[in-house]
Amino acid sequence: MYRLSEGDELARLISLRDPHVTNRNLRSSDIASLVEGNCVAPIDEIIICHLLCVKAVIEKDYLAAYSHQSQCVVSVVKVLMSQKDQNWCLPLMYTTCLDLRLVAQKAEATQPQSNGKILEKAAESLLSCFRVCCADNRTSEEDTKRHGMLYLANQLLKVYFRINKLHLCKPLIRAIDSSSLWYQFPLAQQITYRYFVGRKAMFDSEYQAANEYLSFAFENCHKKSHKNKRLILTYLVPVKMLLGYMPTKQLLEKYNLLQFWDLVSVVKNGDLRGIDSVMEKHEKFFISAGIYLIVEKLKITAYRNLFRKVFLVENTHQIDIASFQAALQVMGEKDVDTDETQCIVANLIYQGKIKGYISYQHKKVVVSKQTAFPPLSSM
Amino acid sequence: MDSRNLNKDGETCIHGTCLDMCPPQEMNLRKREKLVHKLEVTTEGYKLVKCYSRSAADSNMAVPSQLRPFPTLMTTTQYLLLNVSKRKDVKMSVIYNFLDDRLRSVRQDMTIQRLQPEECVKLLEPMIRFYCYYSYRLCKYPLREFDPVLNKKYLLECMKWFLACCDALEKTDLESMTDILKDLNLNKDNILSCDRTLVESLYVLCNLSDIHPLYRYLSLPNHLKRSKLKLAYEIAVANMLGNYVRVWRLAEQLCPLTFAALCLHLPTMQKRGLRVISSAYNSKRLNVPTKVIQQWLGFNSEEEVRVMCAYYGQTATDVVCFNNALFKSDAEVPQPKQHHMARISRLALGDVMFYTI
Repeated sequence: MYRLSEGDELARLISLRDPHVTNRNLRSSDIASLVEGNCVAPIDEIIICHLLCVKAVIEKDYLAAYSHQSQCVVSVVKVLMSQKDQNWCLPLMYTTCLDLRLVAQKAEATQPQSNGKILEKAAESLLSCFRVCCADNRTSEEDTKRHGMLYLANQLLKVYFRINKLHLCKPLIRAIDSSSLWYQFPLAQQITYRYFVGRKAMFDSEYQAANEYLSFAFENCHKKSHKNKRLILTYLVPVKMLLGYMPTKQLLEKYNLLQFWDLVSVVKNGDLRGIDSVMEKHEKFFISAGIYLIVEKLKITAYRNLFRKVFLVENTHQIDIASFQAALQVMGEKDVDTDETQCIVANLIYQGKIKGYISYQHKKVVVSKQTAFPPLSSM
Repeated sequence: MDSRNLNKDGETCIHGTCLDMCPPQEMNLRKREKLVHKLEVTTEGYKLVKCYSRSAADSNMAVPSQLRPFPTLMTTTQYLLLNVSKRKDVKMSVIYNFLDDRLRSVRQDMTIQRLQPEECVKLLEPMIRFYCYYSYRLCKYPLREFDPVLNKKYLLECMKWFLACCDALEKTDLESMTDILKDLNLNKDNILSCDRTLVESLYVLCNLSDIHPLYRYLSLPNHLKRSKLKLAYEIAVANMLGNYVRVWRLAEQLCPLTFAALCLHLPTMQKRGLRVISSAYNSKRLNVPTKVIQQWLGFNSEEEVRVMCAYYGQTATDVVCFNNALFKSDAEVPQPKQHHMARISRLALGDVMFYTI
C-alpha cells in the first residue's frame, strides 16, 4: 500500500480508532519481529510504534502509550520530510496527530500532578509536523503539504485551549491567516478554526471580530451537529448580546441554553439585582464556559437600558442625575452615590451609548433631541 | 553522605549540603578577588551570601557542596529581607539590587534541588512582598538604578511559581495545605509569613488590565473567593467597567502592599478617566471643579490635576474646562508617582513582611 501511495487506507491501518485495534493477534509480545520482513521501510518504524502503542492502550498504560505514539509522530515527520513534492501521506499525519492528542489527554487524566505538561509536549510534536507543512512552499499548489496546515492548527488550538495557553495561538493564527490556501481547506476545518479563533477574539475583548468568526462557524456548521452548534452558541450568544442583539427564546430552547434567557430579560430591564442573581444561579455554567466576565460586562448594557427607561418616563431632555441615581438604587445598587452615577453615565456617553453631556454644576444630563439612546446594534 | 536520592514523586533530585549562606569555595574566591559587596561587610564581620550566576554550558551547577538545603535557604532569605534591608548607609536602590541578586540565587538553588511545593511557597511569599514593596518605593528612581520591567518580570515569575505550588498542593492534600498556612500565619518568632490570599490579591492587582488573573480567581475554590481576595476582584471588575469612582472608593480598604500595587496603575487609570470625563463633560461654558477631579481619580493635589490636565490638552485653573476634541489621546502615560495615601511610603520592608490580610 505504501508503494501505491494510498494514504487514506494506510491511515486507517495505523489509527487507534480502527476495529483492528481489538485484534488479539496483534498483542504479540515480540512486535519487532512480527513487523520485520512484513513491512517495507520507512513504514515499518511507524507500524512498530503503532503496535506498541496499541498494546499499551489495551493495558491502560496511557503514559507509555503516549510516548509510543509521539515516537510514531516522529517517524511520520521523517517520512513527510523525505517525500519531496508529494502530499499523499497527509492522511497518515492527520491520524497519528489526532491519536497523539487523544492519548495525551488520556495520559493527562491519569496523571493529575502533570498539570498540562504531557499535552504541552504533545503540542511540541504537533508543531514539528506543522513546521514541515508550512515550510513546503516550493511545491505546486496541488501537491503541497501546506494543505495539512489547518488540520494541525486546529489540533494545536484544541490543546492550547485545554491547557489554557492562549498566548501560543497567535503565531498559529498568523500563519493560517497569511496562507493563500484558505478557500481550499475543507469547510469542516474552516469551521473548527473559526470557532477557536472566535473564542480567542472574545477573550481579547475583540467582540466584532468574535461575532464574525463565530457567526461563520454557526451558519456553516452542519445542521445535524447539534452538539457543536450548541458549543458555538455558548460563546456567540453573549458576544451578540454585548453587541446589542438579544437571542430569541426559541433558539435558546432548541439548544438547551435557557441560562441565557434568564439573562436576556434582566439585561433588557436594567435589573442589576436580577443580573447578580442570575450570575449566582448559573455561576458554574458561566465560569466553566469562560464567559463570566462577559456577563459582568453586560451590566453596562443594563445600565444603558435602565437609563433609557428613566429618560422615557421623565420625558425631558434634561434629566437629573438624582433620577438616575434613584433608579440604580431601586434596581439593587444600594451604595451608589451621585459621583458614581455620574461616572457610569460618563462612560456611556464616552462609548456613544448615550448622546449628550453632563453638567456638573446643574447635576443634570442633557441628552440629544434625536436618538438620545441610539440602538446598540447600530454601533 | 549520599546527596542524590529520590524525592516524593520518585524523581531523582539533588540535595545541597552547604549549610552557610555562601559556599566556602565562593567565599574564598570572592574575598581573594575583592568581590565582596558593601552590604556583605557588617559590624560583625563578613557575611557573604551566594551570588546569582547564570548557568553556562560548561559549568555544572548541580554540585551538592555549592547548594543550600531548604532550612539554609529559609534563614538566608530571612537574613536578607529582615537584616540587610535595615541598612541605612547605602541608597535604597543599592539595597534592592543586592537583595534581588541574592534572592535570585536562592531561587536558583530551589530550582536545581527541585524543592517541594510546600517548601517553595514559604520561600516565595516573602520574595513576592519584597518585589512589590520596592516596585512602589523605587518607582521614581532613574532607570540605571531601578528597572521596573525587570522587577515586574521577577515578581510575576515568583507569583506564578507560588500559585502553581498552591494548585499542586490543593490537588494533593487540601488539609495539609491549610495546616501549612495556619502554621505560618501564627508568626511566633518573627518567622516570615505565607499568606495565599495576599498573593492571589496581588496577582490580580499587579495585572489589573489583564483578564487572565480574573479567570484564575473565578476558578478558585469558594473558601478563597469569599475571603479578602474578593475585594481585589471587585476592584478589577470596576476598573474593567471604567468605574473609576468605585475603584477608588474600594481602594481605601486595601492593605499597604495591595494599595501600592494599585497605585502603580494610577497613571493609566487617570488617563482613561480623564479621557471619559472630557468626552462626557465636553462643553465650552460648563466646567468641573478641580477638587472634584482630584477626588474622583485619586490625584495627590489640585496642582497635580492641573499639570495632568494640561498634559492631556485640557485647560484647568480652579475648574477644568473639558474639551473632547483637544484631548491628546496619544500622549504617553507618565511614570507613576508616590501617593499621599500609600501607607507603604512610611513603612520599612520589615514592616510589610509579617501582616496577613
